[in-house]
Amino acid sequence: MIVGEQKPFEEIWEMIKSFRKVLVFGCNTCVAICHAGGGKEAEILASLIRMKAIQEGIGMEVKHAAIERHCEPEFFDPMMEDIKTNDVVLSTACGVGVNFLAERIGDIPVFPGINTQFFGAVPKAGIFVELCAGCGNCILHLTGGICPIARCAKSLMNGPCGGTNKGKCEISQDVDCGWYLIVERMKKLGALEKLYEIQPLRNWSTATYGGPRRVVLEHIKDIEGQ
Amino acid sequence: MVKVAEPGVQEEVHSIEKPHETPPDWEPNILAFACHYCAFAAADLAGVMRLSYPSNVKIIRLPCTGKLDYIHILHAFERGVDGIFAAG
Repeated sequence: MIVGEQKPFEEIWEMIKSFRKVLVFGCNTCVAICHAGGGKEAEILASLIRMKAIQEGIGMEVKHAAIERHCEPEFFDPMMEDIKTNDVVLSTACGVGVNFLAERIGDIPVFPGINTQFFGAVPKAGIFVELCAGCGNCILHLTGGICPIARCAKSLMNGPCGGTNKGKCEISQDVDCGWYLIVERMKKLGALEKLYEIQPLRNWSTATYGGPRRVVLEHIKDIEGQ
Repeated sequence: MVKVAEPGVQEEVHSIEKPHETPPDWEPNILAFACHYCAFAAADLAGVMRLSYPSNVKIIRLPCTGKLDYIHILHAFERGVDGIFAAG
């Protein structure tokens, strides 16, 4: 899922303080799981903004709402007219949701309420870790299911660098060395010799370095067209 | 998401709220959320014993303080309550 963190309140306030009708708009999928931008968080943020507006002596109408997904039009199209009655939308969805809404909402600004971080897993409640970088060219079959792109600080393809230290990365003792994890995993799988194979230079054009990416399923697109 | 603090560098914490002068005769408006099974029962018993408590405290009974949500507290603050007392 996509992991995000709420922006500092001061930053949010600076964005919206000149507007009079504000909608704090939450997304109940990924960012609700990471307690950053779901309906509950949107409601809390709206309450904080109302209190701040009272303290500053600004007459501001702050509403909140949430839908299940900000990344598909079916979910927010039915309430688009209501959304458009506001002066500004403070979206607590991920960056995808902010982009998607901004493209469709017309001349009303859409501001981000959270900083979108990464694709993450939840090993324990309250802890979110990055396990996949979405590079568009998966090599997990070569590395025992542990991604060197996401989990090695240098995204190395051929073993650890000199900074590996007792299983930890040189950037921080809190960060596991991705390649240490890969080697240990391959040992367990009895496939360590596979790592001796040198991986060639990688084609990064499948990651965002090649420009915005797009996947089109022709068979589904055609059905939609009909 | 793990943030590693630079040694010796402390982040300055700014309060969202502006500091303001408190009048000398000011008394806080307190809202107490009390669990039906313990704290509210205690308040009830205090009533039976004819004990009194300040009039600036208002009690709301909850089935359990686990029912108390952030938003209940925030709504109370929005409506001018100065402090919350959660008892359970």
